[in-house]
Amino acid sequence: MKSTRPILNVARASSTKPSPFTWVHPGEGIEARVTEVTDQRLKGKRIAIKDNFMLRGTRTTCSSRMLQEFESPYTATSVKSLLSSAASITGKTQMDEFGMGSMTNNLPPGSPPVHNPWNLDAAVEGKDEVQVRSAGGSSGGSAAAVKGGQAWAALGTDTGGSVRLPASYCGLVGLKPSHGMISRHGVVSYADTLDCVGILTSEVDDARLLFDIMSHPDSMDPSCASAEVRHRAEGVEHEARHSMKGLRDGRLDGVRIGIPIETCLEKDLTPLDLAPFIRHLRSLGATIVPISIPSIRLALPAYYVLACAEASSNLARFGGGWYGGQQSGLKEPDGSVDRRQWTRRWGFGPEVKKRILAGTYALTAGAFNNSYLKALQLRQRLRSDLDAIFRSSQPQDLDDVTEAPSRGVDVYMHLTAIQTAPILDSTSSTSQDARGYAQDLLTVPASLGGLPCISLPIGLGADGWPVGASLTGQWGSESVLMDIAKIGMANYNSSVE
Amino acid sequence: MQSLPRPAGSIIRLTRALRHPRSIRILARNARPASPSSARLASSSNIIPSSRHLYRDSSSTPARNYSSAAAHQSRTLGETSTAPPPVSEPGLEGWETVIGLEIHAQIRTDHKLFSASRTSFEEEPNTNVVPFDAGFPGTLPVLNRQAVDLTVSTALALNCTINPRSTFDRKHYFYHDIPASYQITQHYNPIATEGKIELSPDLDPTLDRDVTVRIQQIQIEQDTAKTTKLADGSTHIDLNRAGMGLMEIVTEADMRSPKEAGAFIRKLQALLRRIKASDGDMEKGSMRVDANVSIHRTGTPFGTRCEIKNLNSVRFMMAALDNERRRHLKHYLDKPDVPLRQETRGFDEAKGETFTLRTKEEAEDYRYMPDGNLGPIVILPGYLESIRRSLPELPDDVRRRLPEQYGVSLADTEVLLSMDDVEGSGVAYFEEVVGNDQSRDGKQAVNWIVNELLGRLARKNEIWTWDRVPPQTLSSLLALVETGEMTGTAAKNLLKHLLEQATITADTDIKLLATQMGLVAAGDSGADTLAELCRAVIEKLPAEAESVRKGKEKVVMRLVGQVMKDSKGTADAKKAREVLLSMLVGEASS
Repeated sequence: MKSTRPILNVARASSTKPSPFTWVHPGEGIEARVTEVTDQRLKGKRIAIKDNFMLRGTRTTCSSRMLQEFESPYTATSVKSLLSSAASITGKTQMDEFGMGSMTNNLPPGSPPVHNPWNLDAAVEGKDEVQVRSAGGSSGGSAAAVKGGQAWAALGTDTGGSVRLPASYCGLVGLKPSHGMISRHGVVSYADTLDCVGILTSEVDDARLLFDIMSHPDSMDPSCASAEVRHRAEGVEHEARHSMKGLRDGRLDGVRIGIPIETCLEKDLTPLDLAPFIRHLRSLGATIVPISIPSIRLALPAYYVLACAEASSNLARFGGGWYGGQQSGLKEPDGSVDRRQWTRRWGFGPEVKKRILAGTYALTAGAFNNSYLKALQLRQRLRSDLDAIFRSSQPQDLDDVTEAPSRGVDVYMHLTAIQTAPILDSTSSTSQDARGYAQDLLTVPASLGGLPCISLPIGLGADGWPVGASLTGQWGSESVLMDIAKIGMANYNSSVE
Repeated sequence: MQSLPRPAGSIIRLTRALRHPRSIRILARNARPASPSSARLASSSNIIPSSRHLYRDSSSTPARNYSSAAAHQSRTLGETSTAPPPVSEPGLEGWETVIGLEIHAQIRTDHKLFSASRTSFEEEPNTNVVPFDAGFPGTLPVLNRQAVDLTVSTALALNCTINPRSTFDRKHYFYHDIPASYQITQHYNPIATEGKIELSPDLDPTLDRDVTVRIQQIQIEQDTAKTTKLADGSTHIDLNRAGMGLMEIVTEADMRSPKEAGAFIRKLQALLRRIKASDGDMEKGSMRVDANVSIHRTGTPFGTRCEIKNLNSVRFMMAALDNERRRHLKHYLDKPDVPLRQETRGFDEAKGETFTLRTKEEAEDYRYMPDGNLGPIVILPGYLESIRRSLPELPDDVRRRLPEQYGVSLADTEVLLSMDDVEGSGVAYFEEVVGNDQSRDGKQAVNWIVNELLGRLARKNEIWTWDRVPPQTLSSLLALVETGEMTGTAAKNLLKHLLEQATITADTDIKLLATQMGLVAAGDSGADTLAELCRAVIEKLPAEAESVRKGKEKVVMRLVGQVMKDSKGTADAKKAREVLLSMLVGEASS
């Protein structure tokens, strides 16, 4: 798995030809002009950011017509952190409009979907019938930029799998941290209680470095964990490490890894047999434990209700006329009501409209109790179920410190996706059929639980395209999670390839 | 307005001026820039900013508010109107009015509720705006803790139950005054519930009965942008107001007349100002009231309720409520078979009439949803206790305590309260004059403050400040009068002199000054002197002296007057009368 492809590593943005970028810095990348450089940890590293991160001096379009001309008035806290460690921001990447989608094909009219660069070698070599596959979504541009070699790493956002799925399809490491670990200030909200800043890299260590740089309290984001909560999480993690004695020696002795039975799907939804990787982990000393998360299926509809409801609220601000500028060359109607209706009709794509409508309905007085409120209850139920499977306790809750089960697991594992990267010209959309439902079963629970989850490239499916496995840990356990991921991956890829 | 029953105009004007003077509202606002942090002010009640004005010249504010005449008349009013039986209101006999209020008061913080923008008033439009205020994407709300402190103070002052865990919700609607298209408010778990304000004729002579107005709940929420419609039909929006912190205070429908609603609002305003939670200024828009009103025949169920939105003065609120209930009455009498439509109405101040804004069928669905960014406000017992301890004495407590402790009248207490309704420095000044050990007589002190000091200042068209005549100075002056070292007349002359000199400090030695000016009493120490003066006056005014000798004792006062004049006021008039009578009649009659 080579991470750079010299022939293609020049980034280009295009609205008509497939490109991972919406905007590319004309020089070597935006150096730290918006903030002071305090260390050199990212010196010379080119990092791409999804086009829903604010970066002063660039447009932030969210791949929506609505924000085509929106100039970022400030810079996101997470991006500032990268810049203060001397990173170069190389460009901003395509995404499904406002993060809604899983193939980076919900784009402004006329924009081609982002291509998965996995087989670009083949394309360059001029092979016949090169399959054009999706890079996944919604952070498909970010994944493609890293896999295509235009960026060393990229930031994405993950609301229900939008970083992990592209990572799986493109053969990358994708980290969705615990909700509240990385500030969301300056990231355009889709669903506040689910949105996380995510990281796409080739190596686990790179993800860890970026996470360490961006994970800190932020006074501009009230949902960003305080120093106190972080300190408690470290304490919990320190405690947990006592039982995982192998970690010190690059082994997994004492590590308990759960396999939820609910995530073991039928054969056509299993692109890769997880068994060899499980055996590998066991050979490193890990204990594999079959577990059950009973409410996992019940909780899925909750995700749709909550995400859409929050989206309908968050996206209500667009069209009000305070920013975004006049759409050049178009005649807008007069009158604030007419103009708002016109702008929203014109500016939002079909998927966004669909979710706004669904979310609006869920919040109406007549539906609220039976939709939104029920969804909140189901989410709570899933959270209790998840808490019950971990050996460590949830460090965020001060009021109800429940005794974590001593036989609990440290992480649980399953495949990240039900398939390899889908072919782009196929007309079927994954999110509309039963397969989409199964896919969400794999990515959504960690989002609903606010838990850290890392997708690792563990091999290739029968079609020769990459497949990822997801490890999910207790809230705030990124450090242990990445230790386990790194040790698990250390000798695995070479042993397969 | 014309249908409101009105007592004699002058009295109502004076009482209104005393209870709710425009000048006080100006004062409240002036106090703010002078004090960088209200939190600091709260802990230092002794620090009185020099810009504190009692009143200011204003076309609509007679400068005589605090003249002794005004104080006197209001005192008379207070004594005569002791709890008359409930007044039946003309035209509404047999009907009962039911009123509930919803008050929005801007919270007096340095910056907005969820952003770092400065709070401002009447500044260049759209100058105090950060991206959050304009609903820019990627921005998140950061709660202003000061707004929570002040709301909790208010809730405690209103005897509310404080919710240990309250949360924020979003209320959605599309309108140009709300850039994010939702208002952050507290719909499901408000910060406080179940409070009350007691209204009593004992403390407010304008009332007819004791009323307990229950507070249903208090919630914290964002203010909207200010919309201005110009004559050319264009609409202008000022985001300076967008996102300022508001307290929404909702009462139960416990008021039974516009008068009671007015008394409630005035009481709430005074309370909010005193705890520095809000300027409570309806004319300036820092406090806005929506009023619900219905009427029904006594003994029958409540009638249809209509809401009147955005009332911006106590007077207009009372007028709107009266107009609205009379509209209901006319409807019930003219069309008894047609139900009254439930409506939201506005008030046309020029016409004095309410008008339809929207009917219930058009009611909007606000799609309330918990805000996903803001965590709950968790109130711990220790925090609550610290807020409780920092609360100042509330106006009604002063109204009860001062008459009881010092024997001063309620009317004089009102004057002391209205001298400064933010810091309460009028009351503090009075107590400073009286002294910790109550060495001065309270009634005497309040008379001097209200009639002499304020009265004289009012005649000079001047404002009262703490340092104009330091309380120690006035206290020393009163001490000299009490010991008889100085007569009242001489003391008044000295005060007059002090006010003209304008160089008094707390260290000024009043006794020395009085001696130097020859104002020390000719009484006790100088009995011989007094006798000499009297003898001289008898010689000077033989005719009057003769009348007294013949039994016309009243004429002795003319002689006393001459003694006072000759002594430049240092003589003790009472003693002079005794001396004169003993000289002329042979005995002192008391």
